[in-house]
Amino acid sequence: MNELIYELAVWLDDTQWSTMLHESYYMYNWVESTHVLTLMVSLGMLFLIDLRMLGLALSDVPASRLAERLNAPMLIGFAMMFITGILLFYAVPVRTSQSLWFRIKMVLLVACAVNAFLFHKRMNESVETWDAEPKAPGRIRLGAMLSLAFWSIVVVCGRFIAYDWFDCDTSPNTLIDIVSGCVDGQTRF
Amino acid sequence: MFVSIFTSYPRTLIVVTALVAMLFLAYGGVTDAVYPSLLVVFEWLETTWFGVIGKTWGPAFAFVEAVHLLGLALLGGCVLAGDGRLLGLVLTDVPIRTVTERTHRVFVCGLAICLATGIFMACGVATKIYYLSVYWFKMLALSAGILFHFQIRRPLLNHDIQALNPVVVKMVGLASMLVWFMVAATGRWIGFSG
Repeated sequence: MNELIYELAVWLDDTQWSTMLHESYYMYNWVESTHVLTLMVSLGMLFLIDLRMLGLALSDVPASRLAERLNAPMLIGFAMMFITGILLFYAVPVRTSQSLWFRIKMVLLVACAVNAFLFHKRMNESVETWDAEPKAPGRIRLGAMLSLAFWSIVVVCGRFIAYDWFDCDTSPNTLIDIVSGCVDGQTRF
Repeated sequence: MFVSIFTSYPRTLIVVTALVAMLFLAYGGVTDAVYPSLLVVFEWLETTWFGVIGKTWGPAFAFVEAVHLLGLALLGGCVLAGDGRLLGLVLTDVPIRTVTERTHRVFVCGLAICLATGIFMACGVATKIYYLSVYWFKMLALSAGILFHFQIRRPLLNHDIQALNPVVVKMVGLASMLVWFMVAATGRWIGFSG
């Protein structure tokens, strides 16, 4: 599996657009800045919804109304983050695909998606009974806390990707090399 | 007439005076006199505990950077929700006062996180950012943002909003969004400079 990911990453790395994006100072920085700044839209809206469920913000606004109204800007923000995230991966595919932090981030993003699905499902099932309450019921609050925790760790991992502590060409730790998907005898990093 | 202007709009005048003073400091001849003497302060910052930890322990610096981003997300969410409401773009069926008041505490938390982590990060790279013009632009934008939020936006919205000219309300929302975007964008650009 790791060999396949490595070969795919090398193939992407060999494409002209990947090199152009990686070597363009302004374009790469614009894409990275957009990826980081759309945090304010996507996670900003998400945090407000989660804090509403915990009774820490906008507690006198009906929960369903807040979630519904902030959903559109939040999804626009996530779409922009997703697109710019793919471009960032495409610009540096080999190193990114073998980054421990990138791999943890991807697993956590799946966990975030599952948690968001369950959160909305549970909310839609029961919201009529607690919509105007300052705090959501226990199960919904748990979902909101998990969302805050998962996304916070996603941001930490995203930030850590920039550092080379566990890169395949520098890390002496075999266990981390296995988790990172380093390939024996690889020539591209 | 001047007295009536001063008594009617004291906060606005204070903010405008402060901004003009900052611009004068930034672009006037005063800069040449003050700027060199600040180097000692920035060199000292690197010798503080924050500076030593930031310079010598990479993971701590990276973690604080991530917390800085989380604070920015909190702050940005409140700005976008509150100013989006002022512009009539989001939460249009919720009263303006409710949105701005109920997000204020979260905004202050986000700002406090950003300031605390920002000071830590600045200590770690103090002698680098001292020479970066984008860092000084950020400080200007941040000062303008804080002054604007606490001295103009919040006092204005604490009045009877129905009595305010809708164009003024929208301009306040737009100005607030732009100034905080400027703070975030210049902050991001510090990472690419130097």
